[in-house]
Amino acid sequence: MNACASVFQQAATEYIDRLSNCEGEWLTEQRQAATQRFAELGFPHAGLEAWRYTSIEGLLQQDFKITHRTQAFLHHEMIQQFLGEPVAARLVFVDGIYQPNLSVHTGQTGLSVGSLHAAMAAGDRSVLRGVGSLSGIGDHGFAALNMATLQDGAVIQVSTGVAIRQPIELLHMATKGLSGQVQHTRHRVVLEAGASVNLVERYLSLDSESNYFNNMVCEISLGEGASLVHQRAQEESLTAYHLCDVHLDIQGDAHYQGVNAALGGAWSRTTFHARFVGEGANCELDGLYLAGEGQLTDFHLNVDHSVAHCESRENFKGILYGAGKAVFDGLIHVREQAQKSQAHLYNANLMLSRRAEVDTKPQLVILADDVKCSHGTTVGQLDDQALFYLRSRGLDKDQAKRLLCLGFTNEIVDRFQSEYLRDHLREEIVKRMSYERQV
Amino acid sequence: MLSIKNLCASVDGKAILNGINLEVKADEVHAIMGPNGSGKSTLAHILSGRGGYTVSDGEVHYFGQNLLDLETEERAHKGVFLAMQYPVELPGVNNMTFLRESMNAIRKARGEAEIDAVSFMKRVRHRAKQVKLDEKLLKRSVNAGFSGGEKKRNEILQMMMLEPQLAILDETDSGLDIDALRTIADGVNLLRSPDRALIVVTHYQRLLDYIEPDFVHVLASGRIIRSGGKELALELEEKGYEWLLEGAAA
Repeated sequence: MNACASVFQQAATEYIDRLSNCEGEWLTEQRQAATQRFAELGFPHAGLEAWRYTSIEGLLQQDFKITHRTQAFLHHEMIQQFLGEPVAARLVFVDGIYQPNLSVHTGQTGLSVGSLHAAMAAGDRSVLRGVGSLSGIGDHGFAALNMATLQDGAVIQVSTGVAIRQPIELLHMATKGLSGQVQHTRHRVVLEAGASVNLVERYLSLDSESNYFNNMVCEISLGEGASLVHQRAQEESLTAYHLCDVHLDIQGDAHYQGVNAALGGAWSRTTFHARFVGEGANCELDGLYLAGEGQLTDFHLNVDHSVAHCESRENFKGILYGAGKAVFDGLIHVREQAQKSQAHLYNANLMLSRRAEVDTKPQLVILADDVKCSHGTTVGQLDDQALFYLRSRGLDKDQAKRLLCLGFTNEIVDRFQSEYLRDHLREEIVKRMSYERQV
Repeated sequence: MLSIKNLCASVDGKAILNGINLEVKADEVHAIMGPNGSGKSTLAHILSGRGGYTVSDGEVHYFGQNLLDLETEERAHKGVFLAMQYPVELPGVNNMTFLRESMNAIRKARGEAEIDAVSFMKRVRHRAKQVKLDEKLLKRSVNAGFSGGEKKRNEILQMMMLEPQLAILDETDSGLDIDALRTIADGVNLLRSPDRALIVVTHYQRLLDYIEPDFVHVLASGRIIRSGGKELALELEEKGYEWLLEGAAA
């Protein structure tokens, strides 16, 4: 184990020692097991296939500290500018800590929202027992660290058959105060049978030069026939580090529609572990990423067709410019018993610079013999003919490029149900493409 | 308006234009005809600023200014428009957004105010009706999944919206049935005005039944080998290009 890892392990151990016992033995045991797991695993390294192209050297050099923070403060006006459409509930996390005074809950019947910290303080066994039920104690060092020292997060439960029309928003704000630190947050979302929800996750930074590490885990369980729209927008500061593992269990006839935008972070990685556990379910997952100078963006998808008659479709598109780097790894696993599965996986990359890099690896592992599956990957540049066409109509090179880049991403942006987010993301894309000057 | 003198150009070292001379004045319609590979499209491309061509000799002046010195978009700002033979598909780029941004880019370059949304909508609907372009196509991505005829109608719609002074139509008639051809020609004729000139590049005489030219030029091996009035087009229709090519070779 390297020096940095042992510092983290020491910090994790001290963290656990300091905790009061009220959160219950079960979680404490999990934390200790996770610390042990971290001691075994250490940090991921290039020798591991899943981390081959995603170097964490820069992250380790930052020497982030695990701290036990219980307080963060933000004035209500500070978040006002980031609020979009009306919500059924909004949980605001400032530097990873739940802020009841900034949060909103309309009190709709059948919708229960709360913070993990509150559950831990109250020793709420029904909530705490669920922690790690989908993710385990961690399949890599960072996930284990999250389990060992997790501090807060959202706990959302929607009762059987309840449809929540307005979105539930998880708003993560990073302040200057988070600089130099790693934050371990974990969300748990449970949709009981037939429930339907629109969940929005946003990651924002109030300080453009803030340097922090968000190390997240999100566990989502969809009951039979449940339906979740999941809109995620990662806009961390360009000097921040962001890691999120999303674990998704999909029961029979349930429907998951996820869409992601990864624009921020010096380094960001999102992993989806989607598992079908009942027949007739459907998973749609879209994403877009932008990476420029000094940025690495990584998406890992792991879709497990473990039962028959399920459909999955994944479509990720990225624009790379400057010395931006992206990693895409999409694995669809169709198991032997998963007959009549349908799985389609696409990844397209638009390279605006010779110095940009993408490492893309779509994989289909098919063990069943009666399935419909496909995958495709493209890596290309802006089409000269299209640029000429636009310029011949009066647009200058930069305008033409921006319009084509927007066109490239529109297919994904349109998957966001929130009009506010669609408009906001288009604006951000235009802004980012305006800073970009090299062809 | 446009003065082309001894224009010589090549692609990848292969000479395509070998000394073109052409004078175009406002209110004139010039048809450029000729067999395949004669350099018709190359001429249209060079005038609009498309890359990939090397101009080895000659000059092109547009309102007294060296046209070849201008960027593609600057030519558009100054009123040059090329209706393309193969309009490009732009997936994800909304047709109406594209049109409006184009109009405003040109207006901005001319120091004019941007067009407001209401006037724009009114005008684009009116013009779309004139070229019989389904309004639904305005809301779709530019040319994406359009039929050949719809793409050409879209080109003429752009031309009507941008109101160029020099419009170059590159084989706009290719792939069109007779009804589409008539609609498009009607659209083009609506734009004829004393301060506007048209260069119509075509392989067939057919289009010229509807867009009546003042001058017809026959291009072969990168040179204009014959110029005349509209009756020249009819003669070509009757005798084919062979007749002229033999004459030129002799």
